Amino acid sequence: MLVSIKWLGRHVDLEGLSPEQICEDLTLSTCEVEGLEPFAPHMASVRVGEVLSRERHPDADKLSLCRVAVGDAEPLQIVCGAPNVDAGQKVAVAVVGTVLPGNFKIKKSKIRGVESRGMICSVRELELGDEHDGIWVLPPDSQVGSSVAEALELEDWVIEIDNKSLTHRPDLWGVRGIAAELGAIYDRPLKPLDLSLPEVGSDAAFDVRIETPACSRYMGLVLDNVAAGPSPIWMRHLLLAVGQRPIDGLVDLSNFVMLDLGQPNHVFDLAEVPGGVVVREASEPCSFTTLDGEERALQSGDLLVCSAEQPVALAGIMGGLDSRVGETGSRRLLEVATFHPATVRRTSSRLGLRTDSSARFEKHLDPTLPAKALAHFAHLLGEWQPDVSLPAAISDCGDWTDPAMEIELSGDHVRRALGVDLADGEIRSILERLGLACSSGTGTWNVAIPSARATKDLTLSQDLVEEVGRIHRYGNVPEASLVADVVPPPSDARRNLVRRVQDRLAGAGQMHEVMSYSFQSDDLLETLGWTAKPHVEVVNPVAAGMSRVRRAVLPSLLGLLAEGRRQSNDLRIFEVGKAYVPNPDAVDGQPIERHEVALAWAMPCASPDAAFDDSRLLHLRGMLQDLFVHLELEAPIWTLDEQAPSWAHPARALVARVGDSEPPLVRLAELHPEVAVALGLEGELACDVALAEISLDQVLGAPQAASAYRPIPRFPGVKLDVAVLASEETLAGDVQALIEKAGKGLVRDLELFDLYRGENLGQGRKSLAYHLQLQSDKRTLSDKDCAKFLDRLERGLRESGAELRRS
Amino acid sequence: MTDLEQILSEARAKVAAATEAESLRAVDREYLGKEGVVAGLLAAIPTLEPTERRAAGQGANEVKTAVLAAIEERKAELAKEALSAQLSGEGFDPTLPGVAQRRGSLHPITQVTRELEDLFTSMGYSVLDGPEVELDHYNFEALNIPSDHPARDSQDTFFCDPEGHLVMRTHTSPVQVRAMEQLKPPFRAVAPGKVFRQETTDASHEHTFHQMEGLVVGKDISVGHLIGAMKTLLRGIFGRDLDVRLRPGYFPFVEPGFELDARCPFCEKGCSVCKRTTWIELLPCGLVHPNVLRMGGIDPDEWSGFAFGLGLSRLVMLRYGIDDVRHLLGGDLRFLEQF
Ligand SMILES: [Zn+2]
Repeated sequence: MLVSIKWLGRHVDLEGLSPEQICEDLTLSTCEVEGLEPFAPHMASVRVGEVLSRERHPDADKLSLCRVAVGDAEPLQIVCGAPNVDAGQKVAVAVVGTVLPGNFKIKKSKIRGVESRGMICSVRELELGDEHDGIWVLPPDSQVGSSVAEALELEDWVIEIDNKSLTHRPDLWGVRGIAAELGAIYDRPLKPLDLSLPEVGSDAAFDVRIETPACSRYMGLVLDNVAAGPSPIWMRHLLLAVGQRPIDGLVDLSNFVMLDLGQPNHVFDLAEVPGGVVVREASEPCSFTTLDGEERALQSGDLLVCSAEQPVALAGIMGGLDSRVGETGSRRLLEVATFHPATVRRTSSRLGLRTDSSARFEKHLDPTLPAKALAHFAHLLGEWQPDVSLPAAISDCGDWTDPAMEIELSGDHVRRALGVDLADGEIRSILERLGLACSSGTGTWNVAIPSARATKDLTLSQDLVEEVGRIHRYGNVPEASLVADVVPPPSDARRNLVRRVQDRLAGAGQMHEVMSYSFQSDDLLETLGWTAKPHVEVVNPVAAGMSRVRRAVLPSLLGLLAEGRRQSNDLRIFEVGKAYVPNPDAVDGQPIERHEVALAWAMPCASPDAAFDDSRLLHLRGMLQDLFVHLELEAPIWTLDEQAPSWAHPARALVARVGDSEPPLVRLAELHPEVAVALGLEGELACDVALAEISLDQVLGAPQAASAYRPIPRFPGVKLDVAVLASEETLAGDVQALIEKAGKGLVRDLELFDLYRGENLGQGRKSLAYHLQLQSDKRTLSDKDCAKFLDRLERGLRESGAELRRS
Repeated sequence: MTDLEQILSEARAKVAAATEAESLRAVDREYLGKEGVVAGLLAAIPTLEPTERRAAGQGANEVKTAVLAAIEERKAELAKEALSAQLSGEGFDPTLPGVAQRRGSLHPITQVTRELEDLFTSMGYSVLDGPEVELDHYNFEALNIPSDHPARDSQDTFFCDPEGHLVMRTHTSPVQVRAMEQLKPPFRAVAPGKVFRQETTDASHEHTFHQMEGLVVGKDISVGHLIGAMKTLLRGIFGRDLDVRLRPGYFPFVEPGFELDARCPFCEKGCSVCKRTTWIELLPCGLVHPNVLRMGGIDPDEWSGFAFGLGLSRLVMLRYGIDDVRHLLGGDLRFLEQF
């Protein structure tokens, strides 16, 4: 909202206060100031000139050659194209060097061979209105040579206030309300304003019927003998200053009253509402064309002002196109009403039609305000057009009550809540300055809340604490320390777990943590064939195809793979996040929340003869196993994933479980080759991708295997390597079991270090080589023990169709 | 020169000529070995006249001792030479880089969140969590923002059903009432997390960002306490005292409500970060509205509290000088690797 300081000055004396000071004080006591700009700054260098003579341009019929005095020793010769320029006029002269709006710089020039040193301006060229059918002729008493801004008292500053910071203050949606705030801040009284109802004639009041509870008051005033024509110049300039284009005298006046007092109002041509008006709700969907020419689809419940035949205004929002104030008759109806905030808000939100009027109504306007606004309108109109008459009694209908009330407040409450030692007298004085009268009494008073502040804003004693605090200034509140028994907050298992996981993955795992959006694109989900799965969906997404809330974190990483691979040949990323699965059984409708970690590791594909441990899957599995050891979890059981998700290679997918947990602790898999292609991981970007998702919820519930001390072996162990030749079908896990069996409890640190296939081994054969250590707690092992172990192993393997490779 | 002197002098010359351990060992073998010169001298003794044997024995032993000493001396010399050769800088390029190590990283939001969590837990705050897909009740109703309240406009809500029963939470404030339901006063809690606003994104606007809610409920909590807590918070974040100012701000769930500005840490006379005002709008805060306490099952006549909502994403951007908020959730490796 824009507020002119000059306009404020109509209501409170701001003498001696700089615009900056006023902004600072509003900021600290009242609302958020977003900017401060001078009004029409270009006007400072536009001067009042007097046209001394006017001759026809020697070479152009439509141009005049003027000699114009602008207060300098010599008059200026200026070529002017306006038909209305004439000798003796006072005019606005943009002298050489002036920059007019639109960065239009005035230079010395030659027009059709004749020198011209400046420009005689029209109103529109100065952006002071729309008139452009000739130059602007100034009042005859304007002082030649002075700036037009000074001569016409145009100098002004405009404050921009953040509307959001006024949401709770309907009273500040009018200039007088803000002036009252400044009055309280500076302890200066508001200037008196005559708001008594005007004298009216004896005709019967205009017929108004209210057929809805959504209109609590409707006042109507018949205006007769209204003349067309522009509004007074001072009013137009104030409107311009706050960004309102002057349109038509009565519309300007209506706007001015709304901006001045915060009460929207509307002027109808009386001919449009011949039989009176009815305020009612639309009973069925219909269409209505508003003043701006847009056809609006109305629903039942939308609030309408209607003539006998048809709707004439969308109540509190905008008038109808057909009822625009015409220049046909001289009889008008002024409407000043109080409409129901939520009803106006609903309609205006739905139609996307936010107007100065609807913005005010939805803030809960004071129902006593219409009478004041009506009076203000009538007095201003009377000053401007003394011939206007008010033939009929004022219509005033509606079922409204004055919201003014009292709130009990104690000085102790204020001091306790603010934490500041203010005397009762100081508190009372601040309240009084704000127009909040306090009853007499010590310690506790009844504070009278006037209707303007009582609709929504001040309802509790806490609200009064704020009033005192903001005028006293929060900067004057001393800093205090919280005092309480020192008790360590309960430790948060999930948060601790997340930290340990993040640290391990980013540390030992050398992974980068990413955070991504909770929305997953339809394209991505389509790739996974997930669009049919139930998702939480927003009805108003930022973009089409971005409505689904993720039901798993992992796909979020898939979307990053192609770009990540372009950046790095060893891409390791993880995300800790939440996922949501709709839950039709939930009473409150809330989805199931899942806490997950998703991991992705991508590297260029290994060559066909690469070692077995070049597999990303096995590396990621190793990282996960390390993570579980780090988290001191009982070792989970790894099995093939029978229900591999669609991002997983169906035959290269594993799950790790403790017990029969569902979902599993971990799903681990290679990326499905088709999905890889769909993600753009082909050609140069083709790569070996391992993916995993950890269910933090499962990890939290998994049994712990806390690290425990084992005595350091007292006897030396024997280190040896064994190689096993086995058929391709033989599982590494089975070979490992055979080795452990042969070791009779002596095998330690068993580690597969080579997996080899080669022609020398024969078709369908493979060799598995292990490091291991034989170790006893009771004695030093001898070569004989070793030999016995190998013999047992050899027998065991042979029974299983494998063999020990003796080197 | 006697034969012995001759032998000794030759031996010394050979010792001196030895330039490495191996040639020294050869000299050792030649003179002191089982079949060496000295052994030869000793072996010849029985062939001598008895009167000469003693002197010859002595002489041979003297040769042995002297050769041994010479060898030891030379050995020490060689060791010293070898050490000093080892210690020379020759062949060493002090500018060769360290062998590159891969490193992982924690997201900057994680890092700043942890810092704040640690700061708050050290002051007795619990760290709480709340759902991102939230009930209208917690996101609005219980926070004193009934439907049709104009304050809903500024929230740009993502609705998860046509009735607006379920929403993407627009702030971390819903955790306030959840905390009240869960904890017994007095308590202190913070709740970091993701929040969502339906708005067009650009360098300074994101539809998804991070906040941290704070809530303190106790006896006679005042604006003074709020100011004190916020100053402590800023000291923790910026590592020094920053001037702050509270100015009125309207949020339906607090009364009175404030905007807390901190003096811009980057300039003295105004810069682009503070939009030339020298103040940075840091967080909305206020005393908890009695209606909200009541919604959380807490008697406002007995208890009071303050709450604040810290913009974590904004703080991360301030901390690291990040100029585009979209980097935070963009997943670009070139961004992540910097932290
Ligand atoms: Zn700055």
